[in-house]
Amino acid sequence: MDQVDFNAPHSMGTTIIGVTYNGGVVLGADSRTSTGVYVANRASDKITKLTDNVYVCRSGSAADSQVVSDYVRYFLHQHTIQLGQPATVKVAANLVRLLAYNNKNNLQTGLIVGGWDKYEGGQIYGVPLGGTIVQQPFAIGGSGSSYLYGFFDQAWKEGMTQDEAEELVKKAVSLAIARDGASGGVVRTVIINSEGVTRNFYPGDQLPIWHDELESHNSLLDILGAPEPMNI
Amino acid sequence: MSRGSGGGYDRYITIFSPEGRLFQVEYAFKAVKSAGNTSIGVRGKDSDCVVTQKKVPDKLLDQTSVTHLFSITKYLGLLATGITADARTLVQQARNEAAEYRFRYGYEMPVDVLSKWIADKSQVYTQHASMRPLGVVSMVLGIDDEYGPQLYKCDPAGHYFGYKAASAGLKDQEAINFLEKRMKNDPSFTYAETVQTAISALQSVLQEDFKATEIEVGVVQMDNPEFRVLSTEEVDEHLTSISERD
Repeated sequence: MDQVDFNAPHSMGTTIIGVTYNGGVVLGADSRTSTGVYVANRASDKITKLTDNVYVCRSGSAADSQVVSDYVRYFLHQHTIQLGQPATVKVAANLVRLLAYNNKNNLQTGLIVGGWDKYEGGQIYGVPLGGTIVQQPFAIGGSGSSYLYGFFDQAWKEGMTQDEAEELVKKAVSLAIARDGASGGVVRTVIINSEGVTRNFYPGDQLPIWHDELESHNSLLDILGAPEPMNI
Repeated sequence: MSRGSGGGYDRYITIFSPEGRLFQVEYAFKAVKSAGNTSIGVRGKDSDCVVTQKKVPDKLLDQTSVTHLFSITKYLGLLATGITADARTLVQQARNEAAEYRFRYGYEMPVDVLSKWIADKSQVYTQHASMRPLGVVSMVLGIDDEYGPQLYKCDPAGHYFGYKAASAGLKDQEAINFLEKRMKNDPSFTYAETVQTAISALQSVLQEDFKATEIEVGVVQMDNPEFRVLSTEEVDEHLTSISERD
């Protein structure tokens, strides 16, 4: 039997998604951080704030993506103070891309930058492994995204409402969780528009069931009123 | 063997005079006054306020580009009195320092730490022949996690202290006299009282009633710890309250 290696680097297999809608963007992610086959954190938050109006979805190496986010947050902070107004999404995405490209030999992280600014409205930028930057109406990333390309080809529409966009993201992440072993846990979404930022959290029992999946139940111990384990 | 006058250089670079004075540092304080502005800072129970004049002598100047109030981070403000050019370079360096602090240590640079940094930098200039002191007195304000509202003042000599109320610039002594009377018995000012004490101190000391566009007011409050500059409307409200009270 394989021994679980607790010292293996933490990787977020991950499913991450960013989608634009008429008025802003919706970012979504799963919550599994794995160390080999051990789930080191089953409730991670992979959607990280860079500024009040720009967030980033992180995938790949947990450490690498955290450090890149930290540097970009630092640079954006200085930029914002100098500029005297919120940084644009494009600037944030470019800073991410420059770090990803110039350190490509030492980093293993795919990122999706999403946010809202007053000049261009809601925008999504994909920054995959090599440090490319590409603005897209929607972007998917992480190991779970492989299972979503066909789904998005069919389900994506231009000009969705906020609720449609969030439903799409929620459904897509839960589909990926169903098929990708490296994705799991809960679905977190972040909605960014002119009014601000809203964070949502969807645990397993609020997600749709696919085919052979079992419904979630609360533990029977709750229902049966079993005594404390040590009192038997 | 007495040295007498130090060769006459003790006025030109920062070395001690025979009486133990640093003339360049004293001249720096004079430079702060020469700018002609007066600034006031007041610390209340749960807020801080700083106030300074907004003199725009040239009619062709764009008023919106004239300011002595700077945010160093979202939560830390700095009011610079004295030579504006020196103030700008200090602000630039303080911004970089505070941003790096947040990045390196994972939490916001506290008010007193920033003030100490500014003061320590100023002290270095008093020991180098090649660099002159900055002609700026800085008032730093922010809300501290543990101690609540904080107001610090840093000067060209490298001193820094926390204050319940402080002043700087041309009429700083008159302002201090006014503030000492107002703050006898350690009052606990509310936000409105803090702002109005600061503004009325400036009005009394300069003996003129201001219009909202002639002063700059910066505040931090415990229930809104971001440093912000009051809008003309807000300043007007306070000015009205003051005149109605009097």
